[in-house]
Amino acid sequence: MFSQIIVSPAPHTSQNLTTRRLMADVLIGLVPAMVASAVFFRFRAVLVIAVCVAACLLSEWICNRLRRKPNSLGDLSAAVTGVILAMSLPPAVPLSVAVIGSVFAIVIVKMLFGGLGNNVFNPAMAARAFLTASFGAAMTTWTVPATIDSAMPTVQASNVEAVTQATPLAWSKMALKGQATPEQVHAQLKDVFWGQVGGCIGETSAAALLLGGLYLLVRKTITCHIPLAVLLSAGIFAAVGRLLKPDVFVRPDFHLFGGGLMLGAFFIATDPVTAPLSVRGKWLFGIGVGLLIMLIRVVGEYPEGVMYAVLIMNAFTPLIDRLCHTAPVGGKPHV
Amino acid sequence: MIFAAKKTFKGGVHPLENKHYTESCPIEPVPTPRQLVLPLVQHIGAPCKPLVQKKQTVALGEPIGRSDAYVSAPIHSPVNGVVKDIALASHPVIGRTTAVYLEAVPEENPPRIPQPQRFDEHFDPGTFTPEQICTAIQEAGLVGMGGAGFPTRVKIDPNPAMPKHTLIINGCECEPYITCDYRIMLEWTWQILAGIRLAARAAGCQTVRIGIEDNKPEAVKAFEQALSRCRCEEDIQVVVVKTKYPQGGERQLIRAVLGKQVPTGGIPPQIGVCVLNVATCAAIAEAVVFQKPLTHRVVTVTGRAIARPGNYYVPIGMSVQDLLAHCGGLTERAAKVVLGGPMMGFAIADLTTPLTKTCGALTVLTREDVTEPKYARQQTACIRCGRCLAVCPEGLNPTKIAHAVKHFRMDRAEQYYLSACIECGSCSYVCPAHIELAGYIKTGKLLKAREKKRLG
Repeated sequence: MFSQIIVSPAPHTSQNLTTRRLMADVLIGLVPAMVASAVFFRFRAVLVIAVCVAACLLSEWICNRLRRKPNSLGDLSAAVTGVILAMSLPPAVPLSVAVIGSVFAIVIVKMLFGGLGNNVFNPAMAARAFLTASFGAAMTTWTVPATIDSAMPTVQASNVEAVTQATPLAWSKMALKGQATPEQVHAQLKDVFWGQVGGCIGETSAAALLLGGLYLLVRKTITCHIPLAVLLSAGIFAAVGRLLKPDVFVRPDFHLFGGGLMLGAFFIATDPVTAPLSVRGKWLFGIGVGLLIMLIRVVGEYPEGVMYAVLIMNAFTPLIDRLCHTAPVGGKPHV
Repeated sequence: MIFAAKKTFKGGVHPLENKHYTESCPIEPVPTPRQLVLPLVQHIGAPCKPLVQKKQTVALGEPIGRSDAYVSAPIHSPVNGVVKDIALASHPVIGRTTAVYLEAVPEENPPRIPQPQRFDEHFDPGTFTPEQICTAIQEAGLVGMGGAGFPTRVKIDPNPAMPKHTLIINGCECEPYITCDYRIMLEWTWQILAGIRLAARAAGCQTVRIGIEDNKPEAVKAFEQALSRCRCEEDIQVVVVKTKYPQGGERQLIRAVLGKQVPTGGIPPQIGVCVLNVATCAAIAEAVVFQKPLTHRVVTVTGRAIARPGNYYVPIGMSVQDLLAHCGGLTERAAKVVLGGPMMGFAIADLTTPLTKTCGALTVLTREDVTEPKYARQQTACIRCGRCLAVCPEGLNPTKIAHAVKHFRMDRAEQYYLSACIECGSCSYVCPAHIELAGYIKTGKLLKAREKKRLG
């Protein structure tokens, strides 16, 4: 009589939240940064993003077909990987390189490990590391934003061609090496915040990333722990450096708004699959990411360290989870 | 300001309350059905053995099942009738169990009408000795009516090894939809208060705290007025707690009201506390003062797919379909029939399942209420978001336990404190992948119990 009545374990209702909704929110959170990239790098940025997303979706679809698994494009996680990978590429990157990166991210880093939820490393960051190792020159050629009329006035970068230019973090590196004064670098702070500087497609505008990150926090798509931990630990590291050696260290806000730190703090380190489960673990993970970013920026040979910082901490995630395995609120049971 | 301090616990969820369907419906008696089925297991503890035989006539209130074990509660006939059969019947919790089938003539059994007006502020618990109270509670077959069904006598009995000093009365009713406790708090205030004072006397508790969620200001007011009129405000106080699920969980309520934590795997008496539900207290008053056994209880029949939702005074043993018929039957949109509330209730497929002593609600959910992914049972991969850890009121790691159970790694499940789970279902409720975390954990507990049995 009531054939449509079903039986399943309690609870019999649920929050109106799905993985697809979470991923859609991340995409919406990335919209301000995508708009900013379209403003600064024009059609090129849109093209790279579109190519990466298409390549990621297609790779995932093919993987599922080959493994005779149900289609998983609906959860939108492949689209998120595509957008984040595109945002971390330089605007002038050859499209073939973008495609290779997308295929690597989905096929090698995600699907071979078992698909969504099982990958150890953040697919976009692992793919970017792969591209950096394989196509060094293409990955470090920085186009000047289309909205800039002339080259940055205060820093005389070695490259004289009008099309390429050093990124803000490269300037801060120069300051560390004594090739420029921090004050010269600080002159760009306003442009660094709004995004009118050279850099990866999605990382230039700290303002747009902050807006998107705020959206994720308000929607409760992410919790505040990882972004706060990353920003606080990196900020404190930079502030201490500035206090000790003001002649070579740039101000902490320059470090926070420059490079991929905002993108990393709100959109990459918060990837739930590769971050720890517990709140304590998330704090540890975020602090680790923030400190590693600053170590690489200050001590390492690279000007930027978000990618390697996230990947290194991804590898620590299972250990952090084990470390943060706590007793229930009532204490350990007496057995 | 009574609402200033929001006492609560850490974790928990806020499901839609949906109490508006029935919160303003007064308790209504229900005509006696022609057939009643009384399962011989309606509590935690030893199952009862039938005391009656086929074709035997039984009187209202006559015991029909009993066990000699200490942790058990006898079962009584809610009608004057004849034993038709003793056979297996569907049981919401344990699947199938032996039950006594009774046949009753409705004309000879007028609906029983609750009589809360027989209690008032002049009630004196001192006329009963603690032993008398305990015996009456045992004889009446009282069990925890909030859902767990632990024999009340065992809870209340003074134990020199673990003396109880505080009695907490659970008037939270944190489950969505259910309003049976709310209605009795409004309508039977004096009867509950009489039961509370009897229970406190029997258990030897000096202080009593009545925990009520802040979404029930009327109930808070009713108790505060009653307490001031009978001049027992010093020993008995109402504590307003935050509206949050599972605020009415025993361990959570103790945490909210007293700020104390019951040890993992322990019981409340270890920290000198005893927790009773308001419905149990009302039954205690009837059992002790009028020697009336537990044969009827208030059941909320609710949900969008019910024609006439309400709070009904129902004989225990009435079948779900008889009660549904009395409420106008199911509408086409019914997708799930749940004994209890939507968070911890039991979904049933067999509508001949009888109502038991622990069943406070019959919730009928539509497909929209169940939500589409849950209805379609689409469980996707865990994305390790950690939401289940954040809401777990016991501070557990539900996803790790569930995955361990899924792979039959019971050792690993226990490393993550499988047994400490209170099965509130908050983890399943928030899971964006719609994994039945609480379902896996319950399965894990069953597997563990089976393993223990097998090893002797």
